[in-house]
Amino acid sequence: MVFTSLNFLLFFPAVIVLFYITPIKYRWLTLLIASYFFYLNIEPVFGLLTALITLSTYYFTRQIDNTKSEDKKRKFMYINVIIVLLPLFFFKYFTAINDGVFNFLEAYDIRWVLPKITFLLPVGISFYTFMAIGYTIDVYNEEIEAEKNIGIVALFISFFPLILSGPIERANNMIPQFKSELRLNPKNFAIGLKLMLWGYFMKLVVADRIAIYIDTVYANLAQHNGDTIIFTSLIYPIQVYADLGGYSLIAIGVSKILGLDVMPNFNRPFFATSMAEFWRRWHMSLITWLTDYVYTPLSFSFRKYKVQGIVIALMITFIISGIWHGATINFVIWGVLQGIFLSIEAILNKRRTKIESTYKLKSNFAYVTFFIILTYVLFSISQVFGRAVTFEDSVLVFEKAIFERGPLFLDKTTLAYSLIGVIMLLLSDFRDEYFSGKLLLFDNKYFPIRLLSYLFVSLLILWIGILNGGQFIYFKF
Amino acid sequence: MERQDLINKLTTIFQTTFEDNSIVLTDELTANDVDNWDSLTHMILISTIEKEFDIKFKLKDLNKMKNVGALIAIISSKIN
Repeated sequence: MVFTSLNFLLFFPAVIVLFYITPIKYRWLTLLIASYFFYLNIEPVFGLLTALITLSTYYFTRQIDNTKSEDKKRKFMYINVIIVLLPLFFFKYFTAINDGVFNFLEAYDIRWVLPKITFLLPVGISFYTFMAIGYTIDVYNEEIEAEKNIGIVALFISFFPLILSGPIERANNMIPQFKSELRLNPKNFAIGLKLMLWGYFMKLVVADRIAIYIDTVYANLAQHNGDTIIFTSLIYPIQVYADLGGYSLIAIGVSKILGLDVMPNFNRPFFATSMAEFWRRWHMSLITWLTDYVYTPLSFSFRKYKVQGIVIALMITFIISGIWHGATINFVIWGVLQGIFLSIEAILNKRRTKIESTYKLKSNFAYVTFFIILTYVLFSISQVFGRAVTFEDSVLVFEKAIFERGPLFLDKTTLAYSLIGVIMLLLSDFRDEYFSGKLLLFDNKYFPIRLLSYLFVSLLILWIGILNGGQFIYFKF
Repeated sequence: MERQDLINKLTTIFQTTFEDNSIVLTDELTANDVDNWDSLTHMILISTIEKEFDIKFKLKDLNKMKNVGALIAIISSKIN
């Protein structure tokens, strides 16, 4: 069941009603049942995975808490992390490894009849796997006590707004909330509905519309000229932002209506003036997760090598992030590029801050604009490896971008409609970035203005939104 | 080591690491309050503290360093 499906528009109100008529003490149970219903509805067998991960995580986190021996605690932590990772590895990399062996043998003219099986990746598996790992390590680090009620652990791992694509939440934020007195209140309702409305706008009006153009170009790279490909690659980050950012807002809004606060996933990423800042604003729940559970342990063990140690830790973290996105050479390059950008920045950082403060550059319009554009372009270049399906395709993109000039491919209707959405989205972000709390529409103090803005955005969704649309980009991760 | 001596020594480390002589340490100070104190410089800060105080942190200690007050508490537990 996808947020943009009709089923969800029936499911969610039903959940709210059930939630409301359940006694407060058992509302977490209603959410748990609703979450399993939601997930099993996609593919019943996937429920076995969440159940397995829940059972193992519950058992081992309790064991960690119950033993005094530091060695045993560490052993239990590692065992659970491995158990929880196994299904992810299997589903994500089995096909890649299988194909790899197949091609390798074929290259040496050995025709081995290997079973060429392709498994469907259980949607959301990465997200709840990461949440379970985070919880296990938090218990080990004594950041949080192991939860004694297995139902609450099950809810944490399967909570329906987050299960398909995050935000990748933390146990110390969610578990206490699940155990608190969950109530519906009009204020949360209003906040949640506004977030959902803007999320649907981002997804249906911006992401899915602009996707039509981008998909057309990327599906026929050979037929398009370099200028068109440059333009397409430059707008692709907007699609990803509107897609995952829109999804996240809907997830956060749905949770808010149920009285639960979920962490933000994006913070106006396109106004970042460096890659480091960009990664503090883009897919924040993933990046903070990687920082806490991958980068920090790595850089801690390399700390005696000072800056070199940090560079190595950064590279490994982003290569892991790349391989998580997909077991392809393209995603490895994607990760290496992020690592290189961030390492260069880390090395130059002190000098840059010094120059910035000496010449008061942080308030210099031209300087800030230049770095905003540079950051955006660097990210767009790296995203070519995220969008192009094969390595050959990415090479073609750069070849054409450099050598082939020509008129821009104009799909006028798609571009015009996209433009309306993109301008609205960027203006809204621009306002929040530089004029925080001013020129409010959804939160205007006058009711008629608020009402008109809701109506306008809703009508826009119905008028130019792609309502028969497809999946969310991050479902495949 | 007296707490004040520890703070003085730590202040010098902070000022050198973040190249800012105006940094004044308080218990409530966090990474958000200091320019350049991010996940990259943090590890340099940590290894410098280890060297200067001749102590070794554990990864678990790192998670408990929520602010300068917590950092001071962890350092004093190691040197005393």
